[in-house]
Amino acid sequence: MKRFIQTVSLCLFSAFFVFATYKLPTWFPADIYLRLDPLLGLNAILAAREIIGRALWAVITIGATLVIGRFFCAYVCPMGASIDFLDFIFFRKKKRPVLKAEASFRKAKYFLLVIFITAAIAGLSLAFLMDPMSLLTRFYTFFIYPLAITLINLLLDLVRPLFQALGWVTLSHLHYFQSVYYMSAITLLIFGGIIVFNRLAPRSWCRYLCPLGAFLSLISPLGIFKRRVSDECNECLKCQKVCPMGAIVENPRRTHLPECIQCRTCAKVCPQNAITFPASLSLGGEYSQVDFSRRGFVYSLAGGLGAGFLATQTPFTLRQSKHQLIRPPGAIPETEFLRTCIRCGECMKSCLTNTLQPCLWESGFSGLWTPKMDLRLAPCDQNCNVCGKVCPTQAIRSLSLEEKTHAKAGTAILRKEMCLVWAQNKICLICDEICPYNAIVFRPVEGYRRPVVVASKCNGCGFCEQRCPVKGEAAIVVVPDGEIRLKEGSYIKEAKKLELEFKPDPGDDRFILEDSGLKIEEGGKKVKDRTPAVEPVPEKPKGFL
Amino acid sequence: MDYHRRKISRRQFLKTAAAGMAIGMMNGPSSLIAKEEYDLVVISGDPAAATKKALEAMGGISRFVKKGQRVILKPNMSFSRTPDFGTTTHPLVIVTVAQACIEAGAQQVLVLDHTLQRAELCLERAGIREACKNIPGVHVLALQERKFFREIKIPQGKVLERVEVIKEVLDNSVLINMPVAKSHSATGVSFGMKGLMGLIWDRESFHSQYNINQAIADLGTVIKPQLTILDATRALVSGGPGGPGQVKKPNLIIAGIDPVAVDSYGVSIAPWYGQNFKGRQVEHLLIAHQRGLGKIDIDQLTIFKEKA
Repeated sequence: MKRFIQTVSLCLFSAFFVFATYKLPTWFPADIYLRLDPLLGLNAILAAREIIGRALWAVITIGATLVIGRFFCAYVCPMGASIDFLDFIFFRKKKRPVLKAEASFRKAKYFLLVIFITAAIAGLSLAFLMDPMSLLTRFYTFFIYPLAITLINLLLDLVRPLFQALGWVTLSHLHYFQSVYYMSAITLLIFGGIIVFNRLAPRSWCRYLCPLGAFLSLISPLGIFKRRVSDECNECLKCQKVCPMGAIVENPRRTHLPECIQCRTCAKVCPQNAITFPASLSLGGEYSQVDFSRRGFVYSLAGGLGAGFLATQTPFTLRQSKHQLIRPPGAIPETEFLRTCIRCGECMKSCLTNTLQPCLWESGFSGLWTPKMDLRLAPCDQNCNVCGKVCPTQAIRSLSLEEKTHAKAGTAILRKEMCLVWAQNKICLICDEICPYNAIVFRPVEGYRRPVVVASKCNGCGFCEQRCPVKGEAAIVVVPDGEIRLKEGSYIKEAKKLELEFKPDPGDDRFILEDSGLKIEEGGKKVKDRTPAVEPVPEKPKGFL
Repeated sequence: MDYHRRKISRRQFLKTAAAGMAIGMMNGPSSLIAKEEYDLVVISGDPAAATKKALEAMGGISRFVKKGQRVILKPNMSFSRTPDFGTTTHPLVIVTVAQACIEAGAQQVLVLDHTLQRAELCLERAGIREACKNIPGVHVLALQERKFFREIKIPQGKVLERVEVIKEVLDNSVLINMPVAKSHSATGVSFGMKGLMGLIWDRESFHSQYNINQAIADLGTVIKPQLTILDATRALVSGGPGGPGQVKKPNLIIAGIDPVAVDSYGVSIAPWYGQNFKGRQVEHLLIAHQRGLGKIDIDQLTIFKEKA
């Protein structure tokens, strides 16, 4: 039963993950697992000092835990399911070491919880480091998902000759877009580390480290269902051995309630059928106390504050709005963004063009795994607004397409010394050709028509930067200058206020024509090309003689 | 308002219908005699009707498509914009030709383009896949992987020596080029000749490495569509090729075997960037003409014009 529900939950988690694409309907909560995570919610609310609507979903989890107990870890948590599954594969037959300091290991998760909460209060979002939901989503985004695409494409390539022979046209041309990410390797190492850690004891992660588990265990003794051992018990201690959480103490009749995840494994193995899980209102006495020293509490408080201090009192903080990062459109102002983002990676997974990439150290420790746009790699598509839709804490606001278009992410600037047209008098118009907003115009300068960016029309989508044919860094790059980042309110209004316009403007090209009455000076530079030299004729549009 | 006045009585209807039939029959035979003498067919009207008429006037699709053949339609669906932007070929034009090909016994119709923007989005927004989905044997594909292309040599290439082309185009298929009429910031206009760049892998080098006008002509020496149908139902007269720009409505379908002639006529149907041009003034068309790929002076062509 437990295994079945666990499997269903893991499948559901995976399915919601798969559904997070640009086609996602607005009502569909693809980020539901992250929303239900009370630790992430609490972390974001405390760090951002604001109530976040989507984080309130976690009240469901808290309520259910108050009623039932710490069932979440055994039945719902996809991380727990993954750990159980991989544990079954790798360590099933391994003999586990006996841990003498087990009890003090257990405290670690509470210390971590306190550290994360305190750090959040100090204004640093840190829970993402170890929160299982964030961790697993990240692992899925940066490793499982690209791997799955690779495998599917490999398989398609293998059977392609068969499809061709059968004349199945669509299948024989099927190929899925391969997303690639920075930091895939680091993410894999962390996840792998967690799995290896479970070699120590089953669910070591959940027992000793998981801060979400710690959070839930604090309230779980209030739950109604509790393990009860009848007089039939002959103290064979089988239950103690199989308990994946080590929640059964020396006296097998008693239960360490905060640790019990109600998986009922003990009831299954009991030869006397002495174990049941009836409803009971008692609090479980001494064993429901959380083993947590005052000293440890103070230390971890200090640790959290220290981490918060270290991460926020650095030059990075002062440079926060001055670094070269381009955040996705709709990202709230940088300080709030860093506090609110829980680094789950949903936005990067769902990103249509793969432009969203995780930061490593670009904005310091406080910016690990936050999304940035790598516009040389891919542009931001004007018909997609999925990153905000899937953001569980709304660090990227969910915007309508119209609003998102006005959420200016930055401004393109032309680096004339690198531009083929400006520096080498070559004929190149790719940036103009690809710009969806007509923000690049050609003006006659020194007898040649040269590209110029109209800043008030550029919303930083980066098509120009990605397509620029100059090798290496592009000759046209999007910089954060002019970005609009609003915590609330309409981007359209803000853009209007700033007199920006990101709209089709057919009149623009005509304007240039009228503008370009310039004549080429005799003996001007010749175009160096292998072509029958074509002098640019300013009076006529490009391509006409 | 007197709505009932607008109603047509049965008698009136029959009369009108009979008159229509008569006119149709009078017209009919004339539009069926050997059309091969025409260099160009220019039909004005709604996308579907005009396309149908243009095919008829060209002597019927069976002149180009034989039973059991594979047909490749090359629309422009390179941009993820809806048809009203004028950046992509009208779905109804494509679907009409695809349907005709299937009716003529084509074994398979592939609607192919190497899209500039993400394939999935282009297919979704251009509306061509949606329009063709109910016709068995018609497949709309956007290819963005190199493995679907094959390299060929260009013996007469001036700037290009070799080029990678979508495999299906090279495998004895009938190729019908179906561009949309639009302006182009690098080549002036983008019709059939320029549209061939949608069948190759590396189009970026055309812009950065080679003289694009020569390269297009080079490409024209190896990829030769049997028929070009220019969708000028809408014309993106500025802001091309990606739009947004000014969209005019010439409501024309221009068909012909000579790819340069079709394009050259296309130049004359609307002012581009607010100016009137002739085919000769479009550099890549002139080069193509000079290299013997087709006629460029439309006043020397026999043109069949009609309303659909």
